[in-house]
Amino acid sequence: MDHLTAEHFLLLSAALFIIGMMGVLTRRNVLVIFMSVELMINAVNVAFVGFAWEQNSMVGQTFALFVIAVAAAESILGLGIIMALSRRVDTVDVGQVTSLRD
Amino acid sequence: MSPEVLVFDILGVLAVIAAAGVVLARNPVHSAVALVLTFVNLAGIFVILRAEFLAAVQIIVYTGAILVLVLFVIMLVNQEDLPEFHAGRPLQRVLGFIIGLMLLGEITAAILSRTVVGQPGPWTEDTVARAGGNVQVLGQFLYSGYVLPIQAIAIVLLVGTIGALVLARPDEMGTARPRVRRSSTLSLGHPRGADYAYDPAALPSGLVAAQAGEQPRGEKRGGLIMVKDADLYTNVPAWELDEIAAVPVGGNGYDGDVTGEIIDGMGVGSERER
Repeated sequence: MDHLTAEHFLLLSAALFIIGMMGVLTRRNVLVIFMSVELMINAVNVAFVGFAWEQNSMVGQTFALFVIAVAAAESILGLGIIMALSRRVDTVDVGQVTSLRD
Repeated sequence: MSPEVLVFDILGVLAVIAAAGVVLARNPVHSAVALVLTFVNLAGIFVILRAEFLAAVQIIVYTGAILVLVLFVIMLVNQEDLPEFHAGRPLQRVLGFIIGLMLLGEITAAILSRTVVGQPGPWTEDTVARAGGNVQVLGQFLYSGYVLPIQAIAIVLLVGTIGALVLARPDEMGTARPRVRRSSTLSLGHPRGADYAYDPAALPSGLVAAQAGEQPRGEKRGGLIMVKDADLYTNVPAWELDEIAAVPVGGNGYDGDVTGEIIDGMGVGSERER
């Protein structure tokens, strides 16, 4: 491959998404899980823009812009929830947050 | 290998390494710094993809706003007790790794065997340049065909802001209300909670810490009655109390004018409640 194709970007996107997914699955610190989710969102953005680049389209970039806006709202709410959680149960370990289970 | 591919490779490899650092770092602050590195590299990749505006937005919104917020929260929450410093869960890690590798192989196969190619759009490099650039084209695109989604995004951001305010509010209203309810209250000579009249002279000797669970409730303790809840120790409503014996000034017994009969009745009530 001596010129760029959409496969490059899709593979990069897949790698980033999987790394983020592994972070969500294996880590226990809720802040790191949150950052892994951000990583997955960015991987999806790369895929959107990669497809848009391949198709000479603008729709992918528009979608990526909306994704960024929603991710900003999500991060505000997620961090607020993390703060409320740490204030209530005094931990950032998701393994110890069991008040819904008990 | 063209220089474009070379730049992409450098940026992509750096992004993947930094992303691995996010997941592998033990300290959350190191994770956040690695996340910054990932986002900056992705912004470079957006530039390669002719999405200059998105690259700028990526830098401003992610590394400028969200990451600063993440760092603030890392500093604000209690981190003495980092979960990963204690015994990890090897099974969970191995399973996550295996599932991730399987999914990666699957997605790679799907990408490499991809044949479906849609109808190409009009926005080649030349047409975008003729229309004034990426920002102009994207703005035209957004505000001609996507006006309603933009309004919806505005509402989403507004609701998110309000929600963050509600969630991160200090204790007195939002999160700690159950905690307040759990704590016991102290009722001094309340006619409905007391079976012994309040006597200010007996205060120093009778000052006992509230031990609602250990002592029999409503017990006489030298003129000071410790109760958990005023309504818990009598089943005589307040208005009937007033009819049985007109409690004089104050009405709620703060001046200790409760008569004996009522007090006996209330003692029985407290026994029954228990």
